Amino acid sequence: MYVGPLRSLVDELGRLPGIGPKSAQRIAFHLLKVESEDALRLVDAIVAVKERVTSCTICFNVAEGELCEFCSDPRRDGSLLCVVEDPRDIVAVERTREFRGRYHVLGGALNPIEGLGPDQLRVRELLDRLSDGEVTEVILCTNPNLEGEATAMYLARLLVPLGVRVTRIASGLPVGGDLEYADELTLGRALEGRREVDA
Amino acid sequence: MLEAIGWLATGRSIRGASRETLVRHGADRAILRAETSITDKQDLIEAEIPVVRATRTQLNRRPIRRHAEMAPALQVSVFSPADRRLVEGGPAERRGYLDEVLVERSARLEAVVNDVEQVLRQRAALLRQSGGKLDPSILTTLDVWDQRLTMSGTELVVARETLVEKLEPLVSESYTHLAGHFEHVTLTYRRSWTGELVDALRSAREQDVRRQVTTVGPHRDELEIGLGFTPARTHASQGEQRCIALALRLATHDLRLQDALEPPVLLLDDVFSELDPHRSAALVERLPSGQVLLTTAVDPPPAVGAHRVVEVARNSLLGRFSGQ
Ligand SMILES: [Zn+2]
Repeated sequence: MYVGPLRSLVDELGRLPGIGPKSAQRIAFHLLKVESEDALRLVDAIVAVKERVTSCTICFNVAEGELCEFCSDPRRDGSLLCVVEDPRDIVAVERTREFRGRYHVLGGALNPIEGLGPDQLRVRELLDRLSDGEVTEVILCTNPNLEGEATAMYLARLLVPLGVRVTRIASGLPVGGDLEYADELTLGRALEGRREVDA
Repeated sequence: MLEAIGWLATGRSIRGASRETLVRHGADRAILRAETSITDKQDLIEAEIPVVRATRTQLNRRPIRRHAEMAPALQVSVFSPADRRLVEGGPAERRGYLDEVLVERSARLEAVVNDVEQVLRQRAALLRQSGGKLDPSILTTLDVWDQRLTMSGTELVVARETLVEKLEPLVSESYTHLAGHFEHVTLTYRRSWTGELVDALRSAREQDVRRQVTTVGPHRDELEIGLGFTPARTHASQGEQRCIALALRLATHDLRLQDALEPPVLLLDDVFSELDPHRSAALVERLPSGQVLLTTAVDPPPAVGAHRVVEVARNSLLGRFSGQ
């Protein structure tokens, strides 16, 4: 359809997640039209990410340099460890402004269909972090879906015998929203787990 | 027409037809539109079915994500001669029948049904990776999937058993009416294991790893149907099997009414051609209140008090006649 540089730009954009052929074409023509300066800022951002953003050597969060912002911050509580599947989950937990501990990124959840077992996740690294006794509580913050629950269950079996306190986030109704917008599954579980109201 | 209503309610063909056969020959898409009204609530349902690409369905001009969202506006229950497979087919047909009823009654049970399917897929993938050997790293993760299967599987089976208990008297009652004489239809849910599922999975583990399948669990259970205390699957005549299948459909319908749920629109797809006149008449008499649409290639029993009759020949509407 297109030749040369335009063709390869459309092809590359089309490889990005969530971008179909039509969107790829639209973005490519947009970039063709804008000032060079604006387009090059995007190039710079991509280059900077690829050159400077690395993986934290302790927790595997995204980092600039050896350690991520949480591992290098001495004010963070080293006795509390929150285990997540993905660095994006850290962003969600941070939004609560409640958690002052540190993180561990597994890099996924147990999922035999996708070939993900304990050896493909950073489970051994997690166990290593617990060996010096500084961590006293591990919060399992994997996704509340089947694979996330299975992963939490697996880790609990591994960690409880080590004498560390292991907790799991509760799943419930989103607060501050309307019941009307709660998904039927969460609402169904909430109905099932209803409690007596104290008068 | 039944296909169209069925499609709007469920998002698939009630006869299992392919997209090409649903779309008029030579056209690239089919458009369906229906206005429904339940008590004083009116809804507009629209669907676009292209031969290729994704279909789109809107409820009151807003796109829906899952067809379950359609339930408040339109629900159908389909009766067709193919239903005999519920009686003479394999156990999967009968488990599917029970799960369909459960899913319709609870979003939570829908999640449980999906969980069980997904755990079984994950477990199957793990068993394949084991290559038939029980090494420790496979064992620890297998423990976790077994625990998940036990949680969801037990919940599903208990729900199925409760449902079977509620259905049994209703099925007998419907069957007796259709057959014209008293007959006891028994429904017996047989688990593929005894005791706790987690223990059964552990005892079956060696065999499961060797054969690379899960040999016990809700996906191996059976709903046995008996007619006068003999197994209907092997001992009932074809006519009796059809009659039991109809009784199963009528029973789920009655259950909805018992729970004061809005009765679904009944779609009777050419059921009379397979029934003798006596049973056809009994079925018509037994049809629950609510809206019924039926197609028939033979003359319907005289008791059908049709509100409107549409005659179709060679794929064209011949004419419309209004009945009583
Ligand atoms: Zn870090």
